[in-house]
Parts: sequence; C-alpha cells; structure tokens
Amino acid sequence: MKTSELNQVSEPVTTNPVTATAKPMPLNARTIGRLLVVLLLLLILLGTLPGATLDFLGERFQIFVTIFLGIFIEAVPFLLAGSIVSGTLEVFVDRESLTRFIPRRPVPAAFVGSMLGFAFPVCECGVVPVTRRLYQKGLPASVGIAFLLSAPVINPVVLASTYVAFGWGPVLIGRFAFTILIAFAAGLLFHFAPKEEIVLPSVDLAHGDDHVLPAGAAAGRQRLWQSLVVAGDDFMDMVRYLIIGSMLAAAMQTFVPQQTLLAFGSGPVTSVVAMMALGFVLSICSTVDAFLALSFVNTFTTGSILSFLVFGPMVDIKSALMFLGVFRRRVVVYLILLPLAMTFLITVFINLNLGW
Amino acid sequence: MSKKVIIQVGLLAGLGLFLFSRYANGSLSYYIHPRFNVLTLLTAAGLVVVAIAYGREYLLKGESHHEHQRDDYHDHDAHHHGHHHTHDHSHDLSWLGLALLAIPSILGFFVQPRPLGASALSNREVSVGTLSSVRAPEGSYFTTIATSGERNIMDWLYAFQNARDPGAFDGEEAHVIGFVYRDDRFDADTFMVSRFTVSCCVADAAPVGLIVRWPKTPELADDEWVEVTGPFEVGRFGDTTVPILVADSVVKTDPPAQPYLYQ
Repeated sequence: MKTSELNQVSEPVTTNPVTATAKPMPLNARTIGRLLVVLLLLLILLGTLPGATLDFLGERFQIFVTIFLGIFIEAVPFLLAGSIVSGTLEVFVDRESLTRFIPRRPVPAAFVGSMLGFAFPVCECGVVPVTRRLYQKGLPASVGIAFLLSAPVINPVVLASTYVAFGWGPVLIGRFAFTILIAFAAGLLFHFAPKEEIVLPSVDLAHGDDHVLPAGAAAGRQRLWQSLVVAGDDFMDMVRYLIIGSMLAAAMQTFVPQQTLLAFGSGPVTSVVAMMALGFVLSICSTVDAFLALSFVNTFTTGSILSFLVFGPMVDIKSALMFLGVFRRRVVVYLILLPLAMTFLITVFINLNLGW
Repeated sequence: MSKKVIIQVGLLAGLGLFLFSRYANGSLSYYIHPRFNVLTLLTAAGLVVVAIAYGREYLLKGESHHEHQRDDYHDHDAHHHGHHHTHDHSHDLSWLGLALLAIPSILGFFVQPRPLGASALSNREVSVGTLSSVRAPEGSYFTTIATSGERNIMDWLYAFQNARDPGAFDGEEAHVIGFVYRDDRFDADTFMVSRFTVSCCVADAAPVGLIVRWPKTPELADDEWVEVTGPFEVGRFGDTTVPILVADSVVKTDPPAQPYLYQ
C-alpha cells in the first residue's frame, strides 16, 4: 500500500499537470483481482456442498440479490444527481468564485462546511462526488470534511422527514445539533493537516488546473454537454464503490440475523452499540432512515435512536467505500473512527445522565 | 482503445435500460417503495443522456481515447475548443472496474426477480400480533379504514396497538392476503399470514403478520400466498395474549403485483 501511494505521488511529476489528475482510484485491478479469486474459491466451495445446503444457499442468494438491487436502485438516482451537480460545478463555477465565500480562519471555515448542506442538498451518496469536485475547485480539506459528514443530515429534505417521523422534540433537535457538532469538530481537526496528506493526489488541486470554459455564445451548449461528460466520469468512478458497498450491506443483511443485534435493546451502552452497528450495516438513505428508526422507538433507548440517526448517515458500508475515491486510506479510517467515537460518547452520556 | 469507450457508453445506457425494464415489467416494486419510481425513471433517462454525451464526445468527434489526446495535447489545444482537457480523465477505468459496473445489470437480467418471502423472514425480527416493529402513526389514521374487510395486515396491527385490549376484536371479520410463515413456535394448526412492510427499499423491510388457526395448516406450503377470511378470537401465542384469526377459509392465490405493504 505504501509503495502504490508513493507511486501515485511521484508519477505525476514526470508527466504534464493535466494528466496528473488522471491517476486511477485506489480500487485498482489488483484489488478487484483479489475479490474475483475469493469469489472463485467460494464457487468451488459451493460445488462440494450437499444438496440441502445448496437449496438453503440458493434461497439466501435470491434474498441477497433482491436486497442488493433494492439498495442499489434506491441509491443510484442520488449518486447520479450528485454527479450531475459535480459536473455542473466543474464546468460552470471557477475556483476564485468558490473560495471567495469560504472563510480562512479555521473555526468559521469548519462551521461553514458543516452548514454547506443547505447550499447543496445531497444525501450520503450524492455528497461524495460533490465533495471531490469542490476539492478540485480548491475547497480547504477541513471544510470539505465537515461538509461530507454533515450534508447527508443538514439539508431541508432530511429536516422535513425527521420532523414528520418524530415531531418537534429531543430526537429532531439532537440529530441536527449533534451532527453539526461532530462534523464541525472533525473538520476542525483536519484543518491542521496539509491537504495533500488528506485527499488522493488526483483530487488535490495543487496538480490540476481550472477547467472552466471561456464564456461565449457558442460555448453555452458545449458547456452543457461537457458537464454531462464530467458527470459520467464521476458517476462511473463512484458507482463502483456503491456497487461493492451495496453488495457488502446486502450480504450482512442476508447472513447476519437481526435478532443478534436487537437483543441489546434496553442497555444504555449496548443499545447504542447495537444501533450504531445497525446504521453502519443497513446503509439506508439518510432521507428515509428516520422512518426506520421510528420502528425501534419502543424497544430502544432514545440515545441509541439518536446514535443511529447521527452516525448512520455520516458513515455506513457504502459511503465508507465511496470515501476511498476521495481520501487516502488512513484518512478514511479516521473519518470512520472520529464520528464513531464522538457519537458513542454523546449518546451514551444522554442515556446515562439525561434520561430523555 | 476506443473499444473501452464503446463499452462505457454501453454500460451507462445498459444500466439506464435495466432500470427502465424493472419499471416496465413491474418488478421495481420488489425493490423500492413506489413513491421512488419517478426517481428511477429520471435516472434511467439521465443515464441514457450521459451515455449520449459520452458517445458524442469520444466517438463522433473522432477522438477515441485520451491517451491519444495526451500525446497530441499541445498540438491540438488551440483548435479543439479546449474540451479535451476540461475534465480529469478519471474515466480511465480498468477492464475489471468496468466488469464491476455491469454487475447490477447482469444480476438483474439473469436472476429471476423475486420479492422477499418467508425464507427472508427467518433472519429478521418477526413481530407477531403484538407488533413491536411497526409503530402506529400519531392521530386517528385508523379511522380512514373503517370497514374491517378492507384492512390489510398492517392496518389490523395498528388497530391492535391502538386498542391495547387484545380481546376487543373478538368476532370481527378479517380478510387479508399474505404469505405463509411458520417456525418452531407454531403449533401444527397455526401459521402466520405475513407481509413485509417497506418504507424506502427492501433494505428496511420489516415483517408483520397475523396468527391464523386453520385445521388444514399442514397442507399449506411455506411461502405460499393465501387469502385468509375469518373472525378474530383472543388466544395465546407463546407468552403473549393476541387476537388470533380463526380462519373460515384459506384460499391459495397469486402474489399481488405489489408484494409489500408500504408505510
């Protein structure tokens, strides 16, 4: 891993600045090759199993396919929408006009980042290509991270759906307050690292140039087509992570019984652990997760419901995989662990001390 | 190398067509809540448009691959509207990356679409009669479905929950459709007529069901769709007291076009 990262950094130096942004994502042929080998071994294993087990696995496979396609079909419109926003940003917005609005000092910058979702209302699938494009347009790393973590919740659509599900109360207020708090804190922490250590070389603007076309009469239609091509690039890049993530989530749902998680319902700590695990595994869209959380209200503690609604949209299987298309692997680990730790502490504190 | 672009165009358009085919053959409701259908259709159209933009950019203009552009970059820059270097060439995917892109379409086309059924239920928390996995909406939602014969399984469960007294429904006639589910907890003459409720996509599917008593239960096959008619009678299931549907008739039926109940 070390060497491949080094290669990605050193190679662009020898080529021209434009191709420097052309490095493939870390999901390279070798990774996929390994996956295929594992798949092949599984298939061979299947061949040696007795008939009854095969029937069972056949049924499980059907369920797996249905759930996988369910997650994928549900998520893919939002990814395409995010890609089109990204393509539009790429072609129509230049670097100067974007960075002009972002404060330079760390605290206001991270705060603006955690509120940026109101400007770009996207859920956790759409937010990744948009964040990547904003990075290429020169957005500071800390602002992007705050945006990435908060935008799936801090936007009008999710505000509305959470209100419909829970009404005005601790869950609604807590969800929004804690999401902003955690995204802000994570963004602030990353303010102190240089951007090239956070994002992949292909995403770092330092090597790229600004791609906005010159304004002009004939350029209008050309720009529109161009934005669609960029959207297509982004879409094909990110959809691979979405596909792998959806398959993992579907596999977890197919083979891990939910009872094992739900048995922990009422403990102040165990319920939080269970609901955070559930949020991570289920990978459902942030625009509707409030309705699902509603069904756990009777059996689970309020803190754990909050942990599901705060942590799930920030990090789940499919979004964590999509992060790999933007950030260095080490940073992806932090992007999972920081929200995890903060959500856990806050919601366990609520359960133990506030009794909501 | 233009082969790769052709494949990319094909994959984008193919994914769009795949999404459209799910809508056209009605199996889209096996996967997502119908209120998202319009999003799926828009996405299908959007993917086809993006595929056209791709084809227009890389095939019609005679520029087959950016590798080519990369070499000629400086020569052509002046008279090519500058569009070759207007994006980051991140579409430079490996062949295996492309194969990954085809997975949803391949699985979709070659695996017979089937909604979740009894076999998926064994892996989930089952709410029987008392209903822990569905919470009734606030207010008097229930009054909109006043006629007992029109209530579906979820409506009944809401009613049970609102009433609190399991005996309150004795003698009321029910007429519901669902699939047959049984496990160790069921006596020989009882089964659960079940449905999945979906609020977004099948990832959040939660099973609900009514306990049915029917002497010929052993003749029913698991996962079979049935129409159950009969009155409720309060009874015991495991440790709980629940309304039990004492069936007058259990008739085999075709699965409904929309297999789930949507919240």
